[in-house]
Amino acid sequence: MAPTDCLPMKNGIMEQRLRREAKALLEQGKVSCVIGFEAGSLKFTTTPLITGDKDDTQRLVISPFMANNLSVFLTGVKGRVAIVAKGCDSRSIVSLIQDNKVVREDVVIIGVPCSGVIDLTKVEGLVGKDRDEIADITRDGDKVLITVNGDKRECPVQEVLFDNCLACEMPTPQEYDILLGEPTAAAGDKEKAKSREKINSLETMKPDERWAFWRNEFSRCIRCYACRNVCPACFCERCFVEETEPPWVLPIPRWQDSLMFQVVRNLHVAGRCTDCGECERACPVGIPLRSLAREMYDIVGELFSYRAGMDKEAPPLLACYEPTDVEDFIR
Amino acid sequence: MTAKKIARRDIADLLNEWSREFGVFVPSRDEGVAKWARWGGGDAGFLEWYRNTVVPPKALFFPPLEEMFSFQKDGDGYHVGQPPPTEDRWLVFGIRPCDARALAVLALTFKDGYQDPYYLARRKNGVLVGLGCTRPYESCFCTSLGISPTDAANVDLMLTDIGDDFLVEAVTDKGKELLSKTSLVQAATGADEARAEEARDAAGARVTRKVDSQGAHEKLRAGFEDKDFWERVSAKCISCGICTFLCPTCYCFDISDELVKKQGARFRSWDSCAFPLYTKMPVENPRREKWRRLRQKVCHKYEFYPDSFDVIACTGCGRCIRLCPVNWDITRVLSSLPAQEQLRLER
Repeated sequence: MAPTDCLPMKNGIMEQRLRREAKALLEQGKVSCVIGFEAGSLKFTTTPLITGDKDDTQRLVISPFMANNLSVFLTGVKGRVAIVAKGCDSRSIVSLIQDNKVVREDVVIIGVPCSGVIDLTKVEGLVGKDRDEIADITRDGDKVLITVNGDKRECPVQEVLFDNCLACEMPTPQEYDILLGEPTAAAGDKEKAKSREKINSLETMKPDERWAFWRNEFSRCIRCYACRNVCPACFCERCFVEETEPPWVLPIPRWQDSLMFQVVRNLHVAGRCTDCGECERACPVGIPLRSLAREMYDIVGELFSYRAGMDKEAPPLLACYEPTDVEDFIR
Repeated sequence: MTAKKIARRDIADLLNEWSREFGVFVPSRDEGVAKWARWGGGDAGFLEWYRNTVVPPKALFFPPLEEMFSFQKDGDGYHVGQPPPTEDRWLVFGIRPCDARALAVLALTFKDGYQDPYYLARRKNGVLVGLGCTRPYESCFCTSLGISPTDAANVDLMLTDIGDDFLVEAVTDKGKELLSKTSLVQAATGADEARAEEARDAAGARVTRKVDSQGAHEKLRAGFEDKDFWERVSAKCISCGICTFLCPTCYCFDISDELVKKQGARFRSWDSCAFPLYTKMPVENPRREKWRRLRQKVCHKYEFYPDSFDVIACTGCGRCIRLCPVNWDITRVLSSLPAQEQLRLER
């Protein structure tokens, strides 16, 4: 394998450039804040780094564990900001620009050509060990090397990437100011099919089976709102579940209320959701929220030929009307 | 009382025995998520995978949702009904020392000033059977809070894994009563006790995350107004409820009424100081900004609770670290608190 194909090395080169660029942007006063990733405090994690201190830029990293969609922080910081964005994150940024939540000129997008993020839950399932009991996970090209108790195990990377990464339509940001490396290829049909396995199995269920499935899933919901709070498309200052006079949905973890909350949330982010997968990843009780989100994403695509966050000049889907829009659902 | 032991293969039978007298709750998995569930017989497979549950056992005593009472609208007024009955006698099998200590911490609040009938009744009717940790998580830091992962201090009966057997120690009268009724236990030998001691030492050594919990109090008090610090450390927090809801010592709750036609109920459900709505009042919200809410969470655990009850309201279970979607790590924050001297100089 040629050294330039080696992913750890590519990441290393991108990381060095990222640190230089971020530092320069702060030093030259072009931005007042940088949003990126630094090493997390647990194995195989990164954590958001939000800083205005140029010395902190030396902590910035590029790794196969950059799970967060950092665009969620954009609306909370003041001034001009530089932000590290994978393809999916860049789509969320574009979507925020479309909704007038972010001004394009106020953001310096540092694009990362992404090869997919490793889903630790899948790795755990594969090796039968918890993440903190795994010695090492190394991504190299299309393979992942997992070391447990001295035993090395190799598997195709598709086995351990997040489902939404398998379906990724834009691994390399289209909208960027700085691009850290060469563009990476979008997902192939095989990966896309794999990413829909869970959703397909739901679609083949009878309605009452599916109802029972979601009832069981939402019985675990604790209403922590992590799904909402990690979602860049959920930018309401006050969520409908916080209305108290009168309440729309009670803030109690009863499965019916929790399911209603999630269904309404899905409707609210229709046309904004970029299938970044954060809702499902953040859920502490493992509710397969991406199955709902992706289904809505596909419905939006089918009905309106629209994909969120692809064009910053396009009007937001639900803020515009075309005479050709389907309307056979109105009865 | 000298220690006893029980064979690993007999645990299921023991749980079956106890089920005749108690509602027995054990670690269980629902779609891969570890939680507490009623023992349904079968084999005690959880002994092989169980490290700790995502939702802490506080949920058995202080549920995420409970009906406080029902009410019916009749004529001009309301008729108030009794709350649904709770379990008469019940038993939690496998609680970890951190979570058992957390129940003791919670009790301080639930019996201070006002007596919380819901929590206290469940506590009174409940028996805790502890299970020492052999595989603490990378995120665990109980030893920094004066707890050992095999601590028997807050349970009725304590089990320590010694391979083919568990060493069993009765800690309270409730525990002694449990032991006296079963024929599945036998006297432990000196070798068993030695193996248990080894297991305890080994478990303690596996907790590698450390924090200066005692020094935190003074630093937090001195740095309360250090807005820059709190803004900096709260920047990446997304203000969700994971770290508070799943904290074994957090106890805040909200109350909601629901009236459908003439039948209603009053519910209490977990609430979180991470939510902006939590402190919203008619004219103002004293914790509108995220850094104030996050400061409250840390100070409540490491400054205010010690001031009120002389105990830190954190047991180092590590859930807030391993379940946080942004890897916000309380041990990192506590370790980075500015030293007092530094603050004095800055003033």
